[in-house]
Amino acid sequence: MNSQVETAGESRGRWIAFAAAFVAVLGLADAVYLTVHHYTATPVPCSIFEGCETVLTSLYAEFAGIPTAAFGALAYFVAFSLAILAAYENRTAWKLFGVQVVIMAAVTCWLIYLQAFVIGAFCQFCLLSAITTFLLLLLFAISKVKRAQF
Amino acid sequence: MKEEKKSGGVPVAIIVGVLVLVVLGGVLLYRSSATPSPNTAKPANASPQPQATISTQNAPPGATPPNAVGPTTASVIIEEFADFQCGSCGASYPVLRDIIKAYSGNPNFRFVYRNFPLQMHDKAYDAAVAAEAAGLQNPAKFWLMEEQLFTNQATWSINQNYRDIFVEYAQKIGLDVDKFKADMSGMQAKTRVDQDMSRGKALAISSTPTVIVNNKIIPYAEVTLAGMKRIIDAEMQKSTATQQAPPQQAAPASSGVNSNAGNK
Repeated sequence: MNSQVETAGESRGRWIAFAAAFVAVLGLADAVYLTVHHYTATPVPCSIFEGCETVLTSLYAEFAGIPTAAFGALAYFVAFSLAILAAYENRTAWKLFGVQVVIMAAVTCWLIYLQAFVIGAFCQFCLLSAITTFLLLLLFAISKVKRAQF
Repeated sequence: MKEEKKSGGVPVAIIVGVLVLVVLGGVLLYRSSATPSPNTAKPANASPQPQATISTQNAPPGATPPNAVGPTTASVIIEEFADFQCGSCGASYPVLRDIIKAYSGNPNFRFVYRNFPLQMHDKAYDAAVAAEAAGLQNPAKFWLMEEQLFTNQATWSINQNYRDIFVEYAQKIGLDVDKFKADMSGMQAKTRVDQDMSRGKALAISSTPTVIVNNKIIPYAEVTLAGMKRIIDAEMQKSTATQQAPPQQAAPASSGVNSNAGNK
């Protein structure tokens, strides 16, 4: 096969991977913001109108002394790196990306459950992170359905 | 089988570039948003933040008698609206407890606790009822239950068997457990919580903790040991100056909270 000729499947795969990298950067920015907030934020009163502080000051805001958001930032950075490598035609990277986003989606489901049924409050920044994770999962699913090549 | 193509250092350069940007962005964000802890670092002589004044004249009195420390004739009356499941209320608890200790016995100081459980906190209302149920046995037991609820907030607020935990606290502080359970289910404790909430709603309380000193809402950042002492001392000095001034110059420093002092 002539490596200079890009097939339709390869082109599709490349753009899906770039889109995934872009979404991962959004998630990364959100997670970095939440991590910094964890260390610097001045406590604010609990508001009638929204529960972000309730979530961010809950027992689940940390795991083993490390902010939960920091794990998210690491996960998004790895997802971004794998997506970029896949965009430059590393097929193994896309497979690893798929495994990772499935794990991230599972963890996200658990975090949504905690907000809804344990903490009893939602944080918009955490929900934004959930959206970006599910978008990554969606992009990976699209790549499989459309038989995108890497 | 398709071979993986070599694309040089472009992807690695992009990844490293984004990593550098993220680290730099994080450091800048940290530096721009890092502020001293509000409960420790604010100096006693720091400029106070503006305090919103509220009118309490038309508000219902709340639970009567309230959970209060100090005489109703005090010149400085602090009224706190709090939620036992609110993390910020838990963070403020040691500050306000120390304030009560510091001014305990001062005839010009009175502290009133008001229940204001927020709807988003699923166990907060029951926690408020538990505190009131303790207070029904002995007013002093309310404060002991308050201490249990705030200091163990992280434990019961995530436990679905939290009612059993409240019973454990009741045992620990020496309550009649059977009566405590009955009062938890009865109307008297609930009515007191509802009365406090009605007062809070009438005062347009929108967050917890809301601390009011002589009709002035104290910004949360000011709810520090040093900040509260400064505010209380200033109010006491104002009251003393008013009492010493000739009658024609005397002006009431506040009306609502003080005028309702008899209800507190």
